Amino acid sequence: MGKKILLVEDENVVINILKKKFVEEGYDISMARNGIEGLEKMREIKPDLILLDIVMPKMNGFEVMEEMQKDSELKKIPVIVISNSGQPVELDKAIKLGAKDWFIKTEFDPREIIDKVLKLIEK
Amino acid sequence: MNEIKSAIKWILSSGIQNVDGGVHRLFDIKTGKYDYIYPEIIGYFIGFFDLSDIKKKEVELREAQTALLNMLDDTAKGREVAEEAKKETLAIITNFADGLLVFDQKNKLSLINPKAEDFFKIKAKKISGKSITELAEISSFKSLIDILGPGLKKVFRKEFLMGENLVLETTTIPLAREKEREKSGTLVVLHDITREKLVEKMKTEFVSLSAHQLRTPLSAIKWTLKMLLDGDLGALTQEQRDFIEKTYKSNERLINLVNDLLNVTRIEEGRYIYGPVFADLELITLSVVDSYREMISKKKIKFELKKSQKKLLKIPMDVEKMRLVISNLIDNAVKYTPLEGEIIVSINRTDGELEFRIADTGVGIPEKQQKRVFTKFFRGANAVRINTEGTGLGLFVAKNIIEAHGGKIWFDSKEEQGTTFYFTLPIREEFE
Repeated sequence: MGKKILLVEDENVVINILKKKFVEEGYDISMARNGIEGLEKMREIKPDLILLDIVMPKMNGFEVMEEMQKDSELKKIPVIVISNSGQPVELDKAIKLGAKDWFIKTEFDPREIIDKVLKLIEK
Repeated sequence: MNEIKSAIKWILSSGIQNVDGGVHRLFDIKTGKYDYIYPEIIGYFIGFFDLSDIKKKEVELREAQTALLNMLDDTAKGREVAEEAKKETLAIITNFADGLLVFDQKNKLSLINPKAEDFFKIKAKKISGKSITELAEISSFKSLIDILGPGLKKVFRKEFLMGENLVLETTTIPLAREKEREKSGTLVVLHDITREKLVEKMKTEFVSLSAHQLRTPLSAIKWTLKMLLDGDLGALTQEQRDFIEKTYKSNERLINLVNDLLNVTRIEEGRYIYGPVFADLELITLSVVDSYREMISKKKIKFELKKSQKKLLKIPMDVEKMRLVISNLIDNAVKYTPLEGEIIVSINRTDGELEFRIADTGVGIPEKQQKRVFTKFFRGANAVRINTEGTGLGLFVAKNIIEAHGGKIWFDSKEEQGTTFYFTLPIREEFE
């Protein structure tokens, strides 16, 4: 059984591509389409790593990380942010909330994101 | 009676009488003992003395007295003026839009203006004369004193939260009277930045939202095309691959354009710098230069980064934005310098300033267009011929950033010979 990755993201194309890529790499990937669903899923499946979008319906990525900080178990799960924005203020905020890395989607391709995940998760 | 008369002394009593226009003194003669004067007049003695000289002296004396009184009057007026100036200074301090606290040499609070009273929700008379440690016990002062420390250390634009809704920024300024080296106290300035913070938050949200709206479709296109190119969705014919590669490149150009626009949005509104930290301009330059190494060697450009003779100081700056300025200047130099040209970058410390300089042997800026170099969307006519893709925003953005740091930016240029761009950043003495 491969390691578990939770993808919290509302954009279909991103979901489909990452899902396909991670399955090919042999990972067990689960999906959530907004922040609230994301929190529920991470409590349920206890993933080894979370890929988290910021702008999402119902609850955004920052709020998800704030909630995670309040929970001693969830706090330990590494988070990589994948977002379309990436202002310094936002990066600072994410790092303070425990994010391990931040990708602006247009600046990277799926391969680079997967390599980063591999590095983090197989440590 | 005779006995008595023999014992008498002459007593003169006098009066002044005008005789022939002159002033004279007239004497009565009365008799009497030392302790008793007979009331009856026993004779007259009339003497004439010329008193004109004395009178003249009297006039002189009176004049001197008047002069003296005038002088006293002047002194009083001078005091009034000084009093007035003091009142004016106090009025300025009282009505100053920023909160002001003045501490004396022993770090005791000697003055607090009404704005600061407002901030701390406390009356001046309650805290005047208190020391830092005493103030630290008052809850509203806690956050400020946490920053200033017991010794009132030098602080430049440090922000802190007062209560729930008030964000203040504090700067301390050592007070020294002219020509005196020793400081006579410390001025603590408290600037209300609540509104700026709100605008900053709104800006962040706006840029974040526009970035999201603009980039979401672009990243979907990019990722899908990448999948196709990587063969993840099946093998491609050569023709298919060529088309998709071109589409991928067009998409990349659109992504770059969006990036530039987002940068301008970030810089332009607000125009103030974000969280300045002490940083080394040389190190920032080095790291920017590194990202251009490939382009520089491709164009066989002779590139030199001259190290400063003097030790450079770390000065407060928004590192992200400063990197953007240097990157824009190096990008221009590399793009518009022909093959085998030369670029020299140097940073020097002069009086109170750091000066960054980048000189190239590029195409130069046409003289007629030089006035417009720093305006938005400006591109030199000769630059457009070389490269159609620039946005004309780089130098506009650079100027905004440098000026927000209190610096200056300018250039010398000759068409076909080259351009040198300069910018300076102030070194604030209190940070040395």
